[in-house]
Amino acid sequence: MTSNPLRKLLVGLGICFGLPWLFLVVLPYLSASKVGTFAYAEGDHPEDGQKVYPDPVSQRYGSSDYGRQVYAAEGCAYCHTQVIRPTYAGPDMWIPGWAGREGGKENFARETQPEDYVTEPVALLGYQRIGPDLSNVGHRITDREEMHRHLREPRSLELEGGMPSYRHLYRRSLTGEGVEPTSRADALVDYLLSLKKDQPLPAAYLSRN
Amino acid sequence: MTAPTPTPEEMQERAEIDRSARYPVMFLFTSAATWLLVASALGLLSTLKLRFPSLWEACPFMGYGRLYPMFLNALVYGWAIQAGIGVMLWVMARLTRSRIQHPRLIVVSGSIWNGGVALAVLSVWLGAGRSLPLMDFPGWFWPILALSYSLMVVWVFPMAGKKREQGFYVSELFLIGAAVWFPWVYLSANLFINKYAAPVMGAGVDAWYVSNLIYFWMAPVGIAVAYFIVPKISARPIYSYPLAQFSFWAMAVLAGWTGFSRFMGGPFPAWIPSISGTATILILIAILATVSNLLRTLKGCTKLWEYSPSLRFTVLGMLMLAIYGSLNAIGSTFAFGKNLQFSHFVAGMDVLALLGFFSMTMFGAFYFIVPRITGTEWVSAKGIRVHFWLSTYAISALVVFALLSGFAQGEDLKEWDRAFSVSYVNSTPYTLGRCLAWVAIVYANFIFFRQLTQMFCGRGRKSAGPTLLHVEPGSVASARAIEGVQ
Repeated sequence: MTSNPLRKLLVGLGICFGLPWLFLVVLPYLSASKVGTFAYAEGDHPEDGQKVYPDPVSQRYGSSDYGRQVYAAEGCAYCHTQVIRPTYAGPDMWIPGWAGREGGKENFARETQPEDYVTEPVALLGYQRIGPDLSNVGHRITDREEMHRHLREPRSLELEGGMPSYRHLYRRSLTGEGVEPTSRADALVDYLLSLKKDQPLPAAYLSRN
Repeated sequence: MTAPTPTPEEMQERAEIDRSARYPVMFLFTSAATWLLVASALGLLSTLKLRFPSLWEACPFMGYGRLYPMFLNALVYGWAIQAGIGVMLWVMARLTRSRIQHPRLIVVSGSIWNGGVALAVLSVWLGAGRSLPLMDFPGWFWPILALSYSLMVVWVFPMAGKKREQGFYVSELFLIGAAVWFPWVYLSANLFINKYAAPVMGAGVDAWYVSNLIYFWMAPVGIAVAYFIVPKISARPIYSYPLAQFSFWAMAVLAGWTGFSRFMGGPFPAWIPSISGTATILILIAILATVSNLLRTLKGCTKLWEYSPSLRFTVLGMLMLAIYGSLNAIGSTFAFGKNLQFSHFVAGMDVLALLGFFSMTMFGAFYFIVPRITGTEWVSAKGIRVHFWLSTYAISALVVFALLSGFAQGEDLKEWDRAFSVSYVNSTPYTLGRCLAWVAIVYANFIFFRQLTQMFCGRGRKSAGPTLLHVEPGSVASARAIEGVQ
């Protein structure tokens, strides 16, 4: 035997790990990094102009990019998820308000898609659900003031919830009366209000393969 | 591989190896135990905050979202990996009969590692976290950790490459595997997440990283320790060498595929979480084969379990690994995963893997190694007993509570017309139970820390016989027989 046993072992270990590394991580990662916005023409009239999914206006407004950083830094994702699973994998689709806009003739509820996260560097899918899913919180709470109240005194709205107050994101206002949000709180609210992952999927997207 | 009574030359050789290990390994062990204490305190604080959300509300640094990642990172990078590296170096040195090379360099890189982890945990505390479990640190931290890890672990390879007459010991296989795989996993996860934007896959790769850390690093290191300590103490060969080899390669083939099942039904191509779930179930074969192999080795000498602290901790750790693997497999099926995914179960499973399986196994290794490299014995058998029973009960209680509240949470969410807060309210009694369990864990780990630092400072018990449970210190002759001949 010419080759030494350690080298043989290392080759074996490399192959064992190399396969999942290549096929489960590298290749899917490369193809996922190509996922971007999806341009399509509405209906039979392409001349009306191109549309884009996901809608860049609702996805990113105000200082929502900074707000995302605040969201991550405060560890919101340890208690809130941002993922709507199909019905075979969980009850998310049935919980009122979670999967999209409610009411009316049209049903907007749907599972989250990879494209829904393209504006973020890493999707904050979450860890536990101590609090509700936030994929579509921008539809459930539309009022800025109400969103601020949810952050500042959450248990005044929901008596028994487990949400702590993020009072430290607010400061006494300059006039001396009441409190006002810091730029961090404003950005966080921008981000939360931008969370709408229920844009109807265009037909062209569904039949893209 | 039965150990016949060693000759005086062999005893001399072992003593020299232990001396070479003294400074680097004790440095790693003591700093790891310090981190364990810090992490336990953070675990208690974060669980308290979870149960009583109005605590410390005005303070920006005491939110669950900061305390919990600090706990997780301090436990993994501070305690688990450092303890694992120390154990890895010592076991490897003993098995290959070589001294540990470059002890000073190891201590220096260990200090850099500690400094890096401290800075990183601090940065999460001050609000630079990224909300990615175990990758919470800001993006520029990973090269520091990767470099200092490599400078400590690279010395395993010259030892493993020594000329040998027979094949590898089972423990060596597992240790070499861990040494190779972890940097690979760590580098690829960090490179991908920090350098290439692929939002959804980024989250998936994070989950893959956590799972690989457990199955590709902690499990091999823990199993290697068990395959070293169990035959040593029982003075018997491993029940079946082929079975051990089989379980090693089964683990090697399967572990890399696990992880994505944390996001079952998430926005991934459907085959990715499915294959991860399948691998998580199949890897149970490797785990159960390992545990039954070890138990078979011990068959008929249950008395040893009563006396030897190392054996007790190690075997319990292995049983916890079997429980972890089984629960993880159950949670990867749609039937149960539906309810358990994203519930308290997730946190409970992380604690079971890190504290239940890995830490218990490491404690076993510490109780075996530290007397040998410091030349003194553990001060108090009672302390060891308290550490053992408190940890066992507390960790079990914690996991049971997390599991039950996970089920309850899942059931509450299924009732779509129930207010969400109901699921929180229903979980609070369990969370309170977890707080109590954490108090016990903090106390147990404090006792451990105190005993370890006593030995570190050279204030261990000077005695010819090891500290055994349930034996009067005088009966040295039986003690030698039980604790394995050196």
